[in-house]
Amino acid sequence: MSITVETAKEHAMDHAVSCCRFEAGTIIEPSNLEDPAIFFDLEESGLLKFDENSLTIGEVLGAKLIKTAEALTPLTADMLEGLNVQTEEVKEEVKEEVVGTPTAATEAVAPASMTTSLNGGMLKIHIGEGKDINLEIPMFAAQGSVAAAAPTAKIVEVQETAATTETKIEELPAKKLRTLTKKHFKIEKVVLGEETKIEGTTLTLRKGIELEAVESQELVTAMTLEIITPAEYDTYSETIMDVQPIATKEDDNFLGTGNTRVIDGVIVMVTGVDENGVQIGEFGSSEGILSENIMWNRPGSPDKGDIFIKTTVTIKAGTNMERPGPLAAHTASDFITQEIRNVLKKMDESLVVETEELVQFRRPGKKKVVVIKEIMGQGAMHDNIILPTEPAGIMGGKPNVDLGNLPIVLSPLEVLDGGVHALTCIGPASKECTRHYYREPLVIEAMNDPEIDLCAVIFVGSPQVNSEKFYVSERLGMTVEALDIEGAIVTTEGFGNNHIDFASHIEQIGMRGMKVVGMSFSAVQGALVVGNKYMELMVDNNKSEEGIENEVLACNTLCKEDALRALGMLKSAMGGSEVKGPERKWNPNVKEANLEAVEAHLGSDIERVLNETSIPMSEKRESKLKTK
Amino acid sequence: MKYGDRLVKMQGIIVHISDGGVAMDLKGRLGHLTVPMRMLITDYELKVGQEVEFNMSFPEVMSGEVNEKYVSNIEKNKRGGK
Repeated sequence: MSITVETAKEHAMDHAVSCCRFEAGTIIEPSNLEDPAIFFDLEESGLLKFDENSLTIGEVLGAKLIKTAEALTPLTADMLEGLNVQTEEVKEEVKEEVVGTPTAATEAVAPASMTTSLNGGMLKIHIGEGKDINLEIPMFAAQGSVAAAAPTAKIVEVQETAATTETKIEELPAKKLRTLTKKHFKIEKVVLGEETKIEGTTLTLRKGIELEAVESQELVTAMTLEIITPAEYDTYSETIMDVQPIATKEDDNFLGTGNTRVIDGVIVMVTGVDENGVQIGEFGSSEGILSENIMWNRPGSPDKGDIFIKTTVTIKAGTNMERPGPLAAHTASDFITQEIRNVLKKMDESLVVETEELVQFRRPGKKKVVVIKEIMGQGAMHDNIILPTEPAGIMGGKPNVDLGNLPIVLSPLEVLDGGVHALTCIGPASKECTRHYYREPLVIEAMNDPEIDLCAVIFVGSPQVNSEKFYVSERLGMTVEALDIEGAIVTTEGFGNNHIDFASHIEQIGMRGMKVVGMSFSAVQGALVVGNKYMELMVDNNKSEEGIENEVLACNTLCKEDALRALGMLKSAMGGSEVKGPERKWNPNVKEANLEAVEAHLGSDIERVLNETSIPMSEKRESKLKTK
Repeated sequence: MKYGDRLVKMQGIIVHISDGGVAMDLKGRLGHLTVPMRMLITDYELKVGQEVEFNMSFPEVMSGEVNEKYVSNIEKNKRGGK
């Protein structure tokens, strides 16, 4: 298959291979060449072999064949005359030297084609097409820096490029937009008693509260309430639908500003089945022994040592896959949380163990960036409640399916104050629970990064049908265009057809000339369904050993280390660095190399999170199984 | 996997649609498959009776071992989640 002029330009540094048989005398054009995208397969099957004589596409274009070439022949110098040197690449390189970023070049793509043309400090360009024009341009000290750049590794490094451009702009002070104060209360014991109250570090829950919760929802037929202490981590549980923080607003403060009271050490966990015993969230469910199904300390999962207030909700048969069913399970559970919130509101200030102040800054003069979080919007568990009245609550919020999945701007503080209540479904390992948004690492890191100006966090839903996906993603494109940003990070949870909108979001942003980094669980099992040319800056959230959805809660979700990688990548890209192309097969070493590059820039170590091998495996389980 | 990449084109008919997932019968009485909504790609509004197409390989049993965790989960589900 021949290639287009555009492809030839993109692949100027790839090997040139004839796509069909061509007679001697043919002038090589893109249409004579094979698409480099298929070389890997051809090489693997033994149809194609390259040696050091093989020329690149950039070199052969415009040259004349002096020997007849069969199909799929790598072109070599002895077959051609009038070899070409690409002028366009040279211009780019000169520009980069002026900016003064020799080490920023991540891959020696452009320089290599130049070295052939450098001679005694002079750049000689030969345009071979008919008119034989020779240009001689002085090249400063380019020759030396080309040599320096060549061996640089593949990684996009966090570079001084950004700093260079910043110095030109006057340093403007950061603008404090709003603050959110989180007051932490420590709870060390949860018991059942006569009334719901908090005394010191003991939380008492009213006996029978779950019966009222059941009555509050038509579709809920039963509910049990369990208090799981670390000693009971080895008990059976139905699939974990959600993990939620317990937090409330003081007085009539709005979400994302003012004071929030939050309980440390206790989380609410929603689990459930329908009357037939079918798990809610059937596709990839995490039912089983709790300690074997939870990846501790992820942003969206319980921390090791947390006490769980666990509801097991039973909903009407057959409603587990319909929108109202899972929502009813969540709403019934929230009935209990609300009673705790009401008590928390009245607690004495003296019991606050820690006060945390979150400040949202705008940083005029820095590169303007948005974080875009793609959330599920296909109904049932594929839904999210946006901006409830209470942190991580239900009441007052709007389901994003009902909002048409359209992009919605939240302030970073609204996100970190429980502005998203997730009805998460697919794949326990890659789903983002409500608690994930409450301590979303990417939002935290981006908001606190003094080198960028985070102007908004945009939530956009993922509908089922393709035409709706593109409708939504075009609106996102228009939104970011209006915001006039320089860079964006797009994230998505899980995998499947949501990668179609994910790719489209990136395209919509990329085609407007903004730099865009994509973050998703991919690895082996979650390979992207589609791609496009703007998807060159990608961060894989995988942590599992084998690169799969391993049904361990939150194992493969976005962590701080991923957030730092994505930010490093975005900053480098906005500073003009190149990115090396992807490897053919998933390779976890790429991530490690990138992390090391970020560490080198930050000058500090980034803690790597553990993977599923850190929790008990099946052999140990036999003696512990209480359910058999 | 011992028989790795042997792709077989399968066709099926959508027989049930819920908010959470889509069920399809495979043509030629080759079985039944239910997948989450998110694993189904479509340009059209979903309706029962639409035909689907996908590549699959043959499911391969990984080893003779039985994973007790899954057995206990299945038993529990049979007992009605109690």
